[in-house]
Amino acid sequence: MNDDAEVLERIRSGATDEFAELVQRHQAQVFAILSRYEHDHHRLEDLAQETFVKAWRSLGRFDGRAPFQHWLSKIAVRVAIDHLRRRKRSRNEIGLPELGEDALEWLRTDEGQSELEANQACELLEVAMRELSPAERLVITLQEIEGRSVKEISALTGSSGVAVRVRALRARTKLRKALGQLKQQENERTKAKETF
Amino acid sequence: MNERKLKKLFEAAWHEPLPAPSAGFAARVLQAIRRDQAAGSGPKTASIFDQLNLLFPRLAWAAVALIALCVAVNFVSPAADLPSLTDGVAQVSDQWLFTADGL
Repeated sequence: MNDDAEVLERIRSGATDEFAELVQRHQAQVFAILSRYEHDHHRLEDLAQETFVKAWRSLGRFDGRAPFQHWLSKIAVRVAIDHLRRRKRSRNEIGLPELGEDALEWLRTDEGQSELEANQACELLEVAMRELSPAERLVITLQEIEGRSVKEISALTGSSGVAVRVRALRARTKLRKALGQLKQQENERTKAKETF
Repeated sequence: MNERKLKKLFEAAWHEPLPAPSAGFAARVLQAIRRDQAAGSGPKTASIFDQLNLLFPRLAWAAVALIALCVAVNFVSPAADLPSLTDGVAQVSDQWLFTADGL
């Protein structure tokens, strides 16, 4: 966006308040990236704020060769992975009680015949993704939920295309295994209920 | 869990509505930046290494172009019956730089 260059020029010449203009233009995009890794709205806003403050601090390093929004997306992705690493990993058993009845029903069916609401799908993925490393989670989210290509992910994360492909493959395998375990637990729970 | 079912799960998650920032978010970011400035960590200007890093590809290409030009001149000049560049440089160094009496 050419307008970004003009605003950046004004900011560089001392008009700090103009940064609010850039925030308003790109906040939706930053929230879209970060919301895949944090569902609590307050914490999400903190992460978005951290992204913009980091962008502000590094403005001197932005050379304008790539669009501002690409550069900002890279910072948001870095904030997301730092957040995933910081977050205390709760390596407890995958928690079925955290899931809604519709999600459990979908899990029980073989081919997923029943329709799953977006929020239930996210809950289910959130639980299963606890088995993934932060880097694997980042890659599979960017690829499958945000629909980005390997090349784009490579540019955003600074990893090679091969590394991105390997992480995505590993993430898929772990996810399938975790969801399989969940299904097994759910089947056992249902059987136990029927016995009573 | 097979690949098809996993794909369906991703597709369903893709439709999740994205949260919007609350009103006044930009103002809060600006406040945080002012606090940051007060703490003395404003926007960092690019260091000499950052600048060199940015210039590196251009400097490298300029150096390659200069070397190629010199080599081309050296090949072309004898053919055109012009004094060779190497001879010229040798002459200059003899006359000015490495005379027996020194500078």
